[in-house]
Amino acid sequence: MRAYLIFELRRLIREPRMAIFTVVLPVLIYTISSGSSGDAGQVGGVDVAAYLMVSMAAYGALVGALSVGIAVSQERANGWLRQLRITPLAPTQVVAVKALLASLLAIPPVVSVGLVAAFANGVSFSAGQWVALVVLMWLGSLPFAAFGLALGFTLPPQLTQPVSMLGVFGLAFLGGLFVPVAVMPHVLASIATWLPSNRFAELGWSVVAGQAPPVGGLAILAAWALVFGALAAWAYRRSAALR
Amino acid sequence: MTEAVRLQAVAKNYGPVRAVDGIDLSIARGQTVALLGPNGAGKSTTINMLLGLLEPTAGTVRVFGGTPTEAVRAGKVGAMLQESGFAANATVRELVELARALYRDPLPTAEVLATADLTDLAGRRLDKLSGGQTQRVRFAFALAGNPELLVLDEPTAALDVESRQAFWAAMRRYAATGRTVLFATHYLEEADDFADRVIVIARGQVVADGSGADIKQLTGGRTVSFDRAGTDLDVLRRLPGVVEAEQRGERALLRCDDSDRTVRALLADGHAWRNLEITGAGLEEAFLSLTASAGKE
Repeated sequence: MRAYLIFELRRLIREPRMAIFTVVLPVLIYTISSGSSGDAGQVGGVDVAAYLMVSMAAYGALVGALSVGIAVSQERANGWLRQLRITPLAPTQVVAVKALLASLLAIPPVVSVGLVAAFANGVSFSAGQWVALVVLMWLGSLPFAAFGLALGFTLPPQLTQPVSMLGVFGLAFLGGLFVPVAVMPHVLASIATWLPSNRFAELGWSVVAGQAPPVGGLAILAAWALVFGALAAWAYRRSAALR
Repeated sequence: MTEAVRLQAVAKNYGPVRAVDGIDLSIARGQTVALLGPNGAGKSTTINMLLGLLEPTAGTVRVFGGTPTEAVRAGKVGAMLQESGFAANATVRELVELARALYRDPLPTAEVLATADLTDLAGRRLDKLSGGQTQRVRFAFALAGNPELLVLDEPTAALDVESRQAFWAAMRRYAATGRTVLFATHYLEEADDFADRVIVIARGQVVADGSGADIKQLTGGRTVSFDRAGTDLDVLRRLPGVVEAEQRGERALLRCDDSDRTVRALLADGHAWRNLEITGAGLEEAFLSLTASAGKE
């Protein structure tokens, strides 16, 4: 399993497209949006620059975590996953490695947007806050990794990419990553608080505010992790039975 | 245990279509066996069940005494599938190294690369290979773990003549180490040249099982047919070159391994006959006649 993980990590590093979507784009949007908002004060008890930092990091993490579905879908179509199934590697190990890779893709946007926030926008945190931010947003991306896997094991490659994009944008918009929940219309705002994307970003907003994430939010995120996990397991079994 | 593979009354339906229709077979360790049959005969379906990729609708499949999946997880099986693709963004060498890492007792990397004629391509990206090169990589991936049973589905498709020869030479060396090899093909020549035993499959059933020479005799002959005008079928059966004689209405059908001698005898002995026809049995026709006779039994 370690050999497979290393093999996959090496492939991941060679994929430049991923870096564009998970690092360059979030950093760019962050730079533009935090620059245009100026010193607008605070959102939800956090400085705007820090608030937007978490929003964009969360957006990049979503893109990264869901991207695993695109790879899975392609490898399913071209027969690579089938080839792996006739090696001693257990299919569950393959799925576990894919989920781990997906969650690891949540880290570069958090780190890169965080660095820009610290150096360009003067957002400052303690070392403990940095560690908490990266670790929480890494673990918090697992529901989205499961969502990506569910899509990848269900859809053909030509559909996985657009549907993933739709999923990312839908979750990001409705979850308040582009427009803060505080300024959303009432109905949308109440939907947002039930979405995993909002509760995922809440982990980061809590850290930058120097608080522990609220238990209710963690519970909602965990529930989504179970839902997406079950969906991914079902999709995986179904695709294995078809082949 | 001396048995590598055992299939008992194995059947597979795809919806209403019966792709495999009750196959029984046993393959001893160390044998090189060809699964010969036309496209759509059920070869790939049989192989996929043997590898645990498909569940049979009925019957049991055993590989080294356990389920196919158990044998695969234990690293006893290596397989080369048709049309299987590889991960992009990795090199030939990395893929071989991965395969080696997954098995307990792999072959050395250099040996695998040399056997599959990939030494010069070791650093090449997998998505930058030609069809024939990709086929060689599939072979390398199947071989790298040094499995006890090597299963190859149409291994020489997409290979040019030269690579084909190199491929079979490598296969022979591998089989000579006492490993069991099962390959599917629709070329009788390949089956005859490289297998100890040829199992012919048509319409999801085993229609013949024997040495390459046996199968060639069954399938390589010609059929001489004529309106027999009262001549006794037993007399016709005893003509030189006749393997089998049968009657369809007024017509006698003689399956011959030497039709020239049969026809000469037919002329010389003064038998009454009309409307003589000699037809060569192509492999496809031979398969069909074999299935037809299997159906009657």
